[in-house]
Amino acid sequence: MGAAMVNAMALSHFQAFLLFAAVISVSFGFLGRRRPNDRLKYILWSFFLFLLVGIGIGWVMYPFSR
Amino acid sequence: MTEETDDRNLENAKPTVEPLGGEAVAVRSEAPPAPGAEISPSPHTAAQDEFRNESRAFATGVAGWLLPGLGHALQRMWGRASVVFLAVGSLVYTGASMRGNVFTSTGTDAFDYLGYVADLGTGCFYFLARSIEKNGADVSHAGGDYGTRFLATAGVLNLLAALHAYEAARGRKA
Repeated sequence: MGAAMVNAMALSHFQAFLLFAAVISVSFGFLGRRRPNDRLKYILWSFFLFLLVGIGIGWVMYPFSR
Repeated sequence: MTEETDDRNLENAKPTVEPLGGEAVAVRSEAPPAPGAEISPSPHTAAQDEFRNESRAFATGVAGWLLPGLGHALQRMWGRASVVFLAVGSLVYTGASMRGNVFTSTGTDAFDYLGYVADLGTGCFYFLARSIEKNGADVSHAGGDYGTRFLATAGVLNLLAALHAYEAARGRKA
């Protein structure tokens, strides 16, 4: 694991956003629910809400970005 | 994917009764002693059992903090253990690789201390983050700032998972 490999990781804002939403959704789904079906529903719903709220906030902030 | 169950057998748990004005005592569920057998007093009272269970639950929580997922693994919750380990590990690796700020104890203000506490929440992965980030943090770019958030999130997520493991070890529904 060299420094070159470490420095090579450059995620865009959207990629980091997707990774964050996926990891947190899966973690909350497994910690908060016991049955596989409930977990899957929770993960998908949580991920969808992450995307919805994140993109929504982005659009709300857009007029003030310049 | 199968339903995850823990091995705590609640049906065989020893029930307790609380006499009027007295301390809760364990109900003996064993067969009555044979005639002529010497009856020895039970060495464990309910209070001792409770203290032991509480200590075990606390140790489980601490183990889950030190190594993400270990608290659930000790209770044979393999799915949750692996997910916590991978989630915290991936967040730490990504955050450090994006050159996020790994706070140290030599902070100068309250936010540095809060960041240090959050980063310490990752347990042993804190040292992994420091070993990855040999060139130091770079928050002059957005990526470094995102990395800082990833590291803090990993710590808080692991603390939440450790608390979950502690509650599960105490017998709470989790």
